[in-house]
Amino acid sequence: MNDLVLMRKNLFRKPVRTVLLVVSIFMAFLIFSVMLSFNHAITNFNALPNRMVTLNKINFTESLPIAYYDRLRQMEGVKAATHMNWFGGYYQDPVKGFLPVFAVDPETYFAVYGEDLPVTPEVRDKFFSERTAMLAAKPVADKWKWRVGQRIPMNSNIFSQANGSHTWEFTLVGVFDTPQGSSQTGSVLIHFDYFNETITFGRDRIGWIPFLTTSATVNDKVAQAIDQRFMNSQDETSTQDEAAFNKSFAAQLGNIALVVTLVVGAAFGAILLIVGTTMALAVRERTREVGVLKTLGFSSGRVLAMVLGESLLLSIFGSGLGMLGAAGLLELVKNAMAGGGPPMSFAPIVLWWGIPIAIALGLVTGLAPALGAYRLKIVDALGRR
Amino acid sequence: MASLINQIGAVTALNIRTVPQRAAMSIASVVAVALTITVLLFFLALSNGLSKTVTGSGSDDVAIVLRDGSVAELNSVVRKDQLNILATGSGVVQKDGVPVASGELLVIVDGIKRATGTEANMPFRGIGPEGLSLRKGIKITQGRMFTPGTNEIVVGAGLLREFAGFEFAKTINLRGSSWQVVGVFEAPGTVFDSELWADIAVTQSLFNRPNSFQTMRIQLNSASTMPAYKEWAKKDPRLQQLQVLSEREYYAAQASQSTRQFTFIAWGLGIMMAIGALAGALNTMYSSVAARSSEIATLRILGFSGYAAFFGTLVEALALSALGAIAGLLLAFVFFEGRTTSTLGSGFTQLVFKFQLSPAIVVSALVTALLIGLLGGLLPGIRAARQRPQLELAAQ
Repeated sequence: MNDLVLMRKNLFRKPVRTVLLVVSIFMAFLIFSVMLSFNHAITNFNALPNRMVTLNKINFTESLPIAYYDRLRQMEGVKAATHMNWFGGYYQDPVKGFLPVFAVDPETYFAVYGEDLPVTPEVRDKFFSERTAMLAAKPVADKWKWRVGQRIPMNSNIFSQANGSHTWEFTLVGVFDTPQGSSQTGSVLIHFDYFNETITFGRDRIGWIPFLTTSATVNDKVAQAIDQRFMNSQDETSTQDEAAFNKSFAAQLGNIALVVTLVVGAAFGAILLIVGTTMALAVRERTREVGVLKTLGFSSGRVLAMVLGESLLLSIFGSGLGMLGAAGLLELVKNAMAGGGPPMSFAPIVLWWGIPIAIALGLVTGLAPALGAYRLKIVDALGRR
Repeated sequence: MASLINQIGAVTALNIRTVPQRAAMSIASVVAVALTITVLLFFLALSNGLSKTVTGSGSDDVAIVLRDGSVAELNSVVRKDQLNILATGSGVVQKDGVPVASGELLVIVDGIKRATGTEANMPFRGIGPEGLSLRKGIKITQGRMFTPGTNEIVVGAGLLREFAGFEFAKTINLRGSSWQVVGVFEAPGTVFDSELWADIAVTQSLFNRPNSFQTMRIQLNSASTMPAYKEWAKKDPRLQQLQVLSEREYYAAQASQSTRQFTFIAWGLGIMMAIGALAGALNTMYSSVAARSSEIATLRILGFSGYAAFFGTLVEALALSALGAIAGLLLAFVFFEGRTTSTLGSGFTQLVFKFQLSPAIVVSALVTALLIGLLGGLLPGIRAARQRPQLELAAQ
């Protein structure tokens, strides 16, 4: 019988108590993992270091003249540029069917976002050549049961056609499976030219201009040159790299990092006390046994290691289950959202923080009882009742 | 019966008096409940404050007209000719021969959030001459109202508290022209408190949206004429593709959209934490029963019934969780109740509001805590009642 067996036997000698502790730890790590993953999802997209975006300086919801795109793409340091418009799309129901539909210039869009759009060359060419073509992220197509080749009536909550209708028909030419954390998660893409010709107002205006610089080192220089170029015009611009834009957008929701820290702190604070006091009790109950072990020749150090090992085992077991449960839960959430909302998935950063926290929790909760057992004199242990 | 109540009283008193002997675990249990309740209250107060502010913005006797299918003002479009027709409807209040109605345009401009220094979406609303009289309870607290036809802005006091860039008497450059902040208004507890207002015609021309309106607000004689007005607008062929709502209905829909997620988060996190706290409470009570096993056995031999042992344990658990609930409420009152915060509202612009607890929220938090206590005391209580006194004492 080695020490590990002894630790396990000790841990499960009162199975109800141990199961309850595992439940506590499980819940705290579930909260921790889900909240950290959420925070990660809204602040970290797969941003390319040399992908930037030019927006209207007033706010990104204000448009820019299309002429800006032509001027911008010829500027020094710009490798490839494209433009996007927010269509205000919804399918069937204005609220439940809300979809991020973008009117894009297909060829240049693939030049800038190609790695986020894994489709076969045939699908890509079909999307390029058909004016009314539409590409959709796979979860969106799955959610609404769209088939490739189907004509999809898409509504806009902003734009109208000349006949007063808010509905456009597009042909779904393909679906794309976005890489994890991609900025294209859940997107639906349509042709800018078709959009621009059929809308009744806002013609020849574009929403924003994503572009690639020749290298991330020239980002600042290019951004300055662009904003300088359009200064004192009707539409002044603001140029940022993609990651900075995503970050400032997430900050609009509120100080989420702080809320996550406080909630996770509350959850961990609670289990620290619960597990710590229960471990102390569990070891105190075994005072006589500790005395017996020491009488049999177990060194004080070995007894200390066994108590610490027991609390570590408990903490690692509970936290492992919690993180595993979170991975499953996040997968369910991801499927339920069908590509809408932030790209939720179990973030590797959870393990990065979770494992050290689990070890620390095990050590901290076991420390006081372990030291108690370490210092315990055989006489006191066997004499005490 | 009376003797049973006496017995329960005696055992409960004994249990409560001996709690200090089990101080560490009892405190752990109380703190776990307190933190659970605080987290629950945090998100419920957030949700409630947001909801109160948005729903508090709408009147029953003001009609708001949007494009059909537009869920928010921002993406709605109403044409100028439709505005003129809408003002001729039945029940529209006239002032000096002019209908009290306001065609409005909401654009978004960037402000700087004071707390973080990051850019945030500010609603900039162009309003018609009657725009101010359509909204009740608006007070200019500093400076004056903008003069129609000029590049002047008035700013909501709530916006000013949370965001920088629009201070009183400041000149702001937007689209190559300068705007002067000439006044500060207060619209307490409404969305308007976090808005910027300017003249509609100036807003249209400076933002390059000639003759473009998003919404029309119309003052009706009374709330009771609303259905007739809606019916009239529905029938007019020139007003097709528009939807008429009372302002209250509009803001209620907006509120339910933005608060649903916070309520969901509140209960999602709250239930997860409550299960963790319940596991802690069960452990505490099981060890309380174990620690008192010889006392319980002695009492049973003296003639106390199993019920007394059961209720004594249950009441102890309830007392601990009630203490946790009170501590949680105190934390809520100290740390966030009444604090101002802001988030991206359903109109895609920042909305300033206060954390607001309500009696219903406090009750649901108390119920949650007592449920933890009840479940946490039930099984250990049963174990206490089922204890075999002779065996317990013999084992000692």
